[in-house]
Formats: sequence, structure tokens, C-alpha cells
Amino acid sequence: MSNTDLSNIEVNQKPVAKRSNPFANVFNELVSFCRSRSMFMLHYCTGCGAIELPPAMTSRFDMERLGIQPMVTPRQADILLITGYVSIKTLKRVILTYEQMGAPKYVIGICSCTVNGGMYWQSYATAKKLDEYIPVDLYIAGCMPRPEAVIEGLQQLMAKIKTDEANSWKKYYEHYDYYLGNQQHLFGNNWQTPTDIIGEAKTYQLEGPNTLGEHTKILESVQRPLEPLEMKL
Amino acid sequence: MRPENYQAVNHPPSNEYELNFGPNHPGIEGNYALKVKLQGDTVVEARADAGYLHRGFEKLMEDRLWIQNISLVPRICVPDPVPMEVCYSLAVEELAGLELPERAQWLRVLQLELSRIAAHLFYFGGHAATTGMYTPMYWGVADRDLLLDLFEELTGGRVYSIYNMPGGVRQDIPRGFLQRLSDTLDYIEGRLKDYDNLFFTNQIFVKRAKGIGIISQEQALEWSVTGPNLRACGLEFDVRRDDPYLIYDQLKFDIPTEHGGDAWARTLVRRLEMVESISIIRQVIKALPDIKGPVRTPIPNPLAWRVPAGDSYARVESSKGELAYYVVSNGGDKPYRVHIRGPSAMHAVQVLEKLAVGCRVEDVAQTMFSLDACPPEVDR
Amino acid sequence: MSAAHSQNLNVLLQEIEGIHLTHHNPRRLRADIAAEALPALLALLRGRASYVHLSAISCVDWIEENQFELVYHLWSYETSVLISAHIRIPREPGIYLSVFDIYTPAAFFERDIHEMFGVYFEGSPDMSKFILTEWNGPPPMRKDFNSEKWVMETFSWQEYHPDWLKDLEEQGGGIVSTPESIRMDNK
Repeated sequence: MSNTDLSNIEVNQKPVAKRSNPFANVFNELVSFCRSRSMFMLHYCTGCGAIELPPAMTSRFDMERLGIQPMVTPRQADILLITGYVSIKTLKRVILTYEQMGAPKYVIGICSCTVNGGMYWQSYATAKKLDEYIPVDLYIAGCMPRPEAVIEGLQQLMAKIKTDEANSWKKYYEHYDYYLGNQQHLFGNNWQTPTDIIGEAKTYQLEGPNTLGEHTKILESVQRPLEPLEMKL
Repeated sequence: MRPENYQAVNHPPSNEYELNFGPNHPGIEGNYALKVKLQGDTVVEARADAGYLHRGFEKLMEDRLWIQNISLVPRICVPDPVPMEVCYSLAVEELAGLELPERAQWLRVLQLELSRIAAHLFYFGGHAATTGMYTPMYWGVADRDLLLDLFEELTGGRVYSIYNMPGGVRQDIPRGFLQRLSDTLDYIEGRLKDYDNLFFTNQIFVKRAKGIGIISQEQALEWSVTGPNLRACGLEFDVRRDDPYLIYDQLKFDIPTEHGGDAWARTLVRRLEMVESISIIRQVIKALPDIKGPVRTPIPNPLAWRVPAGDSYARVESSKGELAYYVVSNGGDKPYRVHIRGPSAMHAVQVLEKLAVGCRVEDVAQTMFSLDACPPEVDR
Repeated sequence: MSAAHSQNLNVLLQEIEGIHLTHHNPRRLRADIAAEALPALLALLRGRASYVHLSAISCVDWIEENQFELVYHLWSYETSVLISAHIRIPREPGIYLSVFDIYTPAAFFERDIHEMFGVYFEGSPDMSKFILTEWNGPPPMRKDFNSEKWVMETFSWQEYHPDWLKDLEEQGGGIVSTPESIRMDNK
């Protein structure tokens, strides 16, 4: 496991150019505002916290009045809700899903299990710190949090998006080596995903000094071209 | 002229293709996957792929005290957690020779039936959504919330109540609870008529659900189908009546059966069961004020409580079917082995694999929901 | 259970050699038999005594005796009695016969026991992995696999050092027993 502790590293923000024109940032602010008001949440129930999402979405608590809707495909979704523990088998799918989502994307860890393993800390089957494998924007504590808490958390995320603070997806590109290292530690060195994260980082101009490193070298050495998935029946 | 080692390559027929159905799929219940082979729109082969929700409960329970496990067990089946607690408690009580006070038994029945109604309401919602009808889903989930409010008042937890423990229940009912419970039941009973119009006798649903996933009675017995799914094939069997636990032998209730064995029959059985559960809770409400006494037999010291060596097999009728716990003790302060027999382990794997064959691809989700399979119970 | 049923069942069960019956209560019957006699018992119960429902197959790892215990829970819809048939097989090599030909649902339980305990069932239709497809370690439910140790070697934990704790530590207080010490204490 790589030893870099990411909790204190700040994402290097591009300095906002100070101009005399007060309308210079209006467009950016408008974009952030719009983003915060139309969020599509990926419909993926990874754990038991998912049972509180139907009440939050339907008539009683009605998430839709805030502009939040479930979305069925990862490519059109903005929010990935990790509802509870992720078993190692699920974690692979979560990472695949996360990498397929288009930026900007936000991750919310619901329930105690995403923080530190929760009550399954002894279990051989679940991953403990979600933050090691994908960057998390916001945690909602509780086992399990009530629908009100889920909605409150989503509102906080909206506020963060509005002020342009929810930047964890940039962290994934800038510190890809760290995340990849932890993934390799858990899944083995021949772990790879179909998404070309390094290429994406270059496209988004988010390649930092920590994007490449020893773990991406391992990835390069084992990477093979994509093949059609073999399925056994 | 062909070389000597020539072998014709067998290409699969081009009209067959394979589809990963889940785990990230809105038509699948929970975090579960099916791999299906399709020919046109028809499924020719299906394979279940579980383990996405595996937490190793049985291993975890061996590492924790008898009393600690109570907080662990409801997590095994999220939509219907109460039977898990009750069944584990019953198994431990049998092992330890604890006598259950009568009032605790009535309170447990109250909870079990409340949980059954809540689980069935949730089930209708999910089943309706797979047929494209979203209104019953919105109604069902919202009505279930009223029951969750009652749970919260009774136990302090909305979903996971952790209210039962070996020896009884944690505390007595709050003041005025029975009145509020009675009001909620009246409301839900009144709503059932609306559900009938909207969902159960709605031609949109009936035409989609009739003839889907038919199980005959012989097949049901051969595949160990239990619970409402078995009763939908015409066999009148209910653990509550035929292997009674708690005070179910003192209660009057019918066992609704249907004969179609298809998705519609399974839905109807659950609809009728809700009426029975409401009637059972009304009996409990009527009887409870006259039953005095404690709600819990004290356990010596829960942190150093040693349960005598032995084994016990406790069975409970959960909303999904027969739920059983096999608990083994070697006289220590932790269980030596706990085996959980979840009803969905049969329904979601073997039965679904067979029922999906021959279905059209859009009916696979409906078949799964009509069996009321609960993936965390399969994975444990 | 009516008396006639009970008598018939007892007569039937006497056909199995070396069977030892214990009645826990009127609806629970425990049968201890030799491992070789189990298929005969199950065939008899299913074929002639209406025990059509296989409720579960449980496996217990008795590591000190170097044995696996397999328990077959059978239920009869007619007599309403649950029979638990207990057998013991040696832990090494841990191979037993499948009862899939008698009870179809056994396939699921046998597959489950195979991946959790590593007991191989000869003749079972499918012994491939089901739940633990991404798991490379030993069968996790065996008693010699220490889950907590594996977790400690594999995962790291979130640090928790809030401001109020720093204040306390300045005054000479703090956490006396850390989570790490508690976690490893009970081993």
C-alpha cells in the first residue's frame, strides 16, 4: 500500500485571474449553479443503505423537488452514491462504474461502512476505506442515515458544487498513481480497467506530478488491448 | 486438401447472444447479477451471479458475543429485518433454555406481522415498477413509511430495530402506541381497495403478470420453494401454523392460497396475506392490555454469558418464505457456528435460473421481483 | 404428529444400521448416523416417509476433532416433523457424496459449503465458485482462517484526530485504549 496520505493534500486549483471586469466569472458561476440544480444520481445499490433511497425518492421526502433524479446508466449520471459497505467484488464494479462516468462526477459515501468498514470491520469480504480506492466528496454518517439525512447531505453537495469546491474527481486524475496502487494492492497487480485514465487526464489538462508513478508503470507492463469480454454460461 | 489436424471451428449460432443482467441494472433487485443467453428476445439460459453483498456474516458471528450478534443479524435481509432477529433469538433461547415471557411473545408477533406488511408493501412497489407502473411504487413506499414510523416509535430504529434479544424484547410499548397502530392499520386497510383498482386487478398489470414464471406444485416441492411462492402453487403450508413458534397457535388466521403458480398468483397471495397480518395485529392489540408481566427474562451477564453446548434449528416464516437458523454452541461466550438458511437462497438462484429460461428478456426482472428474492440473504 | 405416523417412522428408521435417534421436542428429531448410511437414510425418508423438503445442509468445522459435521435438515409437510441427520466426515481430505440425485436443492447448499469450507461433494452438478469468485485465499469459514488477522494485514484505517481530542491531549488526557489495541486484544 502506498504510504502517501492524501487527506492533507489540496487539489492545486488554477488561480483565478483577477480582472477588473466583474462579469468575468459570471459564466463559470452560472455553469456551477446549473450543475448544482440538475443532478442525476446513479441507480446502483451497493449495500443496505439503499433501502432508505426509495423513501427519499418517492412521495414522502421527494428528492426530485431538489432536482435530483435516479439515472440508470453511469455515462449520464453525475452522482455515485455508495450506499453502505462495498464488498471486494462490488468494489471492482464500483471503480469500473466510476471511471465510466463523465466528469464532473461526485461520490457520496453513505453509512459508516464507507468510512472505516463500519460494523463489518472484521470481515474478510468488504473493503474498509472507500477513500483509498476512489475519491469521496462527502460522507453521510449513520447506520443507516435517515432519508432526511440523505437529502441534507445532497443539499450540502449542491452547495459545494455551487461554490466549486466539490473537486474530488480532479483528485482522481491528479493522484491516479495513489488510487491505482491501492486498487492493485487489493485486486492484484494485473488489475486494469477499460478506461484510459491517463489519457483522460491529459485531455482534461489535469495531469499532475502524481498522476504517473510506480503503479502506473506496473499497469503499463500488464496492460493488454481490450478484448471482447468472455462470458461463461 | 485439408491438413491432417484440421478441425472445423464451431461458431455459436449468430442469433444467440449473451447479456450481463446486473449488478448495475435498474431491473434487478438489489446488487445482484444474472448472466443470460438470449435468442432474439427469449432467454435460453440463465446463470445467477451473487456475492456482491457478501459480508461473511457467518464468520463475523463466530467472532462476536451472543448478545452482540443481535445487532448484526437484521442486516442480513434489509427489507424484512425483524424475522432475522426473532429467529436468531429463538434459536439461542432454545439452546440456553431461556423461558420467554408471554408478553414478549405477543410483542414479537406484533413486530413480525408489522414487518411482513412493510415488506409486502415494498414488494408491490418494486414489482409494479418492473412492469412500468410507477404510481404503485410511490404509494407503496410512502405507505410503508407509516409503518416505519411505528417501528421508530416502538424500537427507536426506522429500519433496523434491534428490539428483540435472547430472553425477550428490549422494552415495553410506549403509551398510546396501540391506538396509533390501530389507526395506521385502518388507513392501510382502506388503501388496499385503492391498490386493487390501481394495481392488482388493473388489466395492464394482470396481462403482464399472468402466465409469467409458472411453477407447478411438483416443481415447487422439488426446488424447495417456500413461503408465499409455495402457497401461490396451491399448497397450503405456513410455518406459523404447521411448525408454530411464539403464540401463533393461539391466533386465528387463514392461509391464503392461489393456484396459478405464476407472477400474478404470487402477487395476489401477498395481497391476501396483508389482510391476514392486519387481522393478526388486531388480535394482538385486543389481547395485549390483558397480558401482564415482564417483557424480558434477564440474562446473567451479557458480556460473559456462556450458552450451554448443543445445537438448535429455529424456523420462522418471513415475508419471503422459510427462514431458519442453525446455531451451534460449544459452551463458549460466542457462537461456534451459525448457519443461516435464507428463503431467497433457493428462490434467487436455482428457481430463478430455471424460471428465466423461456421468458422474454423484459419479463426476467418481473420474474425475479415476483419471487421476492432478497440478494443480501443469498450472499450473507 | 400423530402417534401412528411416529410409529411408522420409527419402524422405517430402524432399517438404517447404527442410527441413533434423539427427540428434542415433538417436532424436532435428531438422527446421528454413520457417513456411509446417509444416502440410504435420505432415499428412504424421501421415497417412503414423505420427507420431500430439504430445508438446509449445514456444515460445522470441528477443528479439534479434525472433523467436519454435515447436518441435513429435512421437513415433512405431512407429519410436520423436522429431522436433522448428523454425520461426521474426516477433515482431510474433506470429500463426501452429493445427495443431488435425491434432493435437487442440495446443489446450492453443496456449492456453498464447497466454497466456504472446501468440502468437495462428488457428483454434485456444479462445484464452481459462486459468491467468492474474487477470493483467492483459503476457504474462509474454516476455523483456521483468521478473518481479523487477514483484515489487519490487508487494510488500513481512517485516522481520527479531531480538535476536541487535541485539546484534551494538551491537558494531558486522551484516548487510553486505542481502537487498534482493542481490535487485537481479543485474539
